Amino acid sequence: MRIEKCYFCSSNVWPGHGMVFVRNDCKIFRFCRSKCKNAFKKKKNPRKTKWTKAFRKSAGKDLAIDPSFEFEKRRNVPVKYDRDLWQKSVEAMKKVEIIRCRRQALHINNRHSKSKEVQRRSDNYEVTKNMGLIRSPAAGLKQLATQLDGEKDMSLVSSKFKQMESRVVEEVHDSDREMDVE
Amino acid sequence: MTSQYNFKKIVIVPTAKDFIDIVLSKTQRKTPTVVHKQYKISRIRQFYMRKVKFSQQTFHDKLSTILTDFPKLDDIHPFYADLMNVLYDKDHYKLALGQINIALHLIDNVSKDYVRLLKYGDSLYRCKQLKKAALGRMATIMKRQAQSLQYLEQVRQHLSRLPSIDPNTRTLLICGFPNVGKSSFINKITRADVEVQPYAFTTKSLFVGHTDHRYLRWQVVDTPGILDHPLEDRNTIEMQAIAALAHLRAAILYVMDISEQCGHTIEQQVALFESIKPLFANKPLLVVLNKTDVIRLEELNPEQKALIQGFINDDIPVMEMSTFSEEGVMNVKTEACERLLSHRIEVKIKSKKVEGILNRLHVALPKPRDGCTRPAFVPEKVIEKRLEKGPKIKKKTERDLEVELEDDYSLDLKKNYDLPADFKYDVIPEFWEGKNIADYIDPDIMAKLEELEREEELRVESGVYEKEEEEMDDEEKEIHRLAGKIREKKAIIAIEGRIGRSGGAPVMPRAGRKRERSVSRLRSEFEELGVDMSNKSGAHFSRTKSRSASRPPIKKARADSAGRVSSSSRVTPRDQSGIRNVELKAKAKKMGHKAQGKMNQFGKAGEADRHIAVKMPRHLYSGKRGIGKTDRR
Repeated sequence: MRIEKCYFCSSNVWPGHGMVFVRNDCKIFRFCRSKCKNAFKKKKNPRKTKWTKAFRKSAGKDLAIDPSFEFEKRRNVPVKYDRDLWQKSVEAMKKVEIIRCRRQALHINNRHSKSKEVQRRSDNYEVTKNMGLIRSPAAGLKQLATQLDGEKDMSLVSSKFKQMESRVVEEVHDSDREMDVE
Repeated sequence: MTSQYNFKKIVIVPTAKDFIDIVLSKTQRKTPTVVHKQYKISRIRQFYMRKVKFSQQTFHDKLSTILTDFPKLDDIHPFYADLMNVLYDKDHYKLALGQINIALHLIDNVSKDYVRLLKYGDSLYRCKQLKKAALGRMATIMKRQAQSLQYLEQVRQHLSRLPSIDPNTRTLLICGFPNVGKSSFINKITRADVEVQPYAFTTKSLFVGHTDHRYLRWQVVDTPGILDHPLEDRNTIEMQAIAALAHLRAAILYVMDISEQCGHTIEQQVALFESIKPLFANKPLLVVLNKTDVIRLEELNPEQKALIQGFINDDIPVMEMSTFSEEGVMNVKTEACERLLSHRIEVKIKSKKVEGILNRLHVALPKPRDGCTRPAFVPEKVIEKRLEKGPKIKKKTERDLEVELEDDYSLDLKKNYDLPADFKYDVIPEFWEGKNIADYIDPDIMAKLEELEREEELRVESGVYEKEEEEMDDEEKEIHRLAGKIREKKAIIAIEGRIGRSGGAPVMPRAGRKRERSVSRLRSEFEELGVDMSNKSGAHFSRTKSRSASRPPIKKARADSAGRVSSSSRVTPRDQSGIRNVELKAKAKKMGHKAQGKMNQFGKAGEADRHIAVKMPRHLYSGKRGIGKTDRR
């Protein structure tokens, strides 16, 4: 008994599951479920179908080339049963699995980290350009007007304006809370 | 040489009535059926001539197949000719076929005549009558043949059931008085299952069985019993036997019952033998004494023995057998076969073809080079070894073990594995976490694993895995949240914009869309944007007179300057909206009137004049539907 790999999505095909298609040139295609089989019949390219492992590897979304992948390989040379070898292999397999998982996670994290920079930049743009959608420039003016009623000193006036602008954040904070559904 | 020994392929002869029906219905089906009197006369004539000719052709074809299929007595092997004569009477047979032939010619003549007449038919009615007459005459001719057809059908049925005897191959013919044991004999040597009964004339016709001798197939023919009376007195059954005897070149086995249980004495049987002796000319003969289980040859009285001795003196071999106890049966068979074989070889040698056959036969014998013999060689050592080994030691099989242990035995397939003892019975795991363990088995796995672990250590040391998450400081967090809010708001605006444009739905008039631009809405929106909207009583956007709950609204009919009452919708009427002043209004009105004048003068239908140009469009009111019914329009 063997766990095979689905030709289309590269997932595990357990014994008793899926379908096998043998072509006239004797090439065998195993599928884990009819979704993959039907996609194959529709001549879909697994390398272009977003949800398959083949796509992810070819598009660099998952780790593809790594020495830890060399351990799991179908060798066609039969090895005589040796208990020690098998026991050691099972342990080794577990260790290799840990290392491989770690490396895969690293690969994906590195990929995601680049998005942070992009995010930051877009946030800044939004806030500078479209602030008016959530905060009117007239907000807090009345309060300021009452405060500056009869102020002669212009420098004070300008500084007060500046303060007000900086307090945009806090006031927005409060007013936003009003809208939140409790 | 037309010798068919398979009479099963003769075409079925229908009765006269059926024959007529078949031909007439075929004519009806295969020729055109429609003719009208307004057709050209040549066409009508042609139509009816075709019918007549077609019927004639069909009759002709069917009758000629009958004539060809039935065997001509002159063309077949004389044995079959004689047999058929015996069974069906040669004269009657020939007569029947002759009648069919006559009918064939008559039908042809009828058709010829009527076709000639049809050429001069001047109306449809006339032609039709002629055709009717022609077909009618043909039908009557056939009706007259009813008897012949019936007879031929019976002959055909019987013929098909005749045993297929090949007159040219090796045959053994068994004859003798009734009840002597001929059928029992044939049952013993072949697979034929001939009926054996104590009464005479159980076998009423010829039966064939096949047997093997020296890798060749032999026919064995069983005949009905023959009685001793002159040829003229013989009945059909006996005549069959005689025919077989006369024409088949076979070895004759004359079976005698020495126990006289058949009801005839040995003298009578010998007498019969003498009377049919002429039929045995040029055929290997064998006299077989049957029923020796009852009485043996030695036990016979001297007169009978003398008779039998007479046979031996005439160089006719005599053999004993008993079909009941089966002794001597095989000997008889082999003897008969051998005799026939040698006879046939003799005949062949005497014939002209022998040269050709002899030329094809050649037995090659190597010439001995010298006088010394060369037997097979086995080295001495091998012989010694063979003796040394002694008898073969039998290995202990599983079955032996099973027998030994009885209940305790269990089949253990793993015990002969070529592994160290404690490994043999290991349970080997197959899967782990969705992986095949067998894929990881590799003699070098430990070395590779070490390498990998070393590399991993290096990586860990160099800090590849220590990726610190850069925390955003408070400012950045705020910016991110605000950006989120902005995006949310943008999305809401986009959706609302799309809601407004629901395609094709009837739009409420401006009166209905009152609530879109209201003060309360303005207030709420600006509150959301953070502007303080309290105490804005003197603002421009609010009503100068706000309705309060204390004063109930006074319903008053609003009238305009002209005194006309309008609804309290407060929407500007269409002829006033978009118009600045009164002059313009007048101008607009004038223009509108002018534009309509021309159309009205022409009296053309305007938008308000509903007009149906085509009251009954043809595609709706006529024609069959391609699919479906047309009971509603």
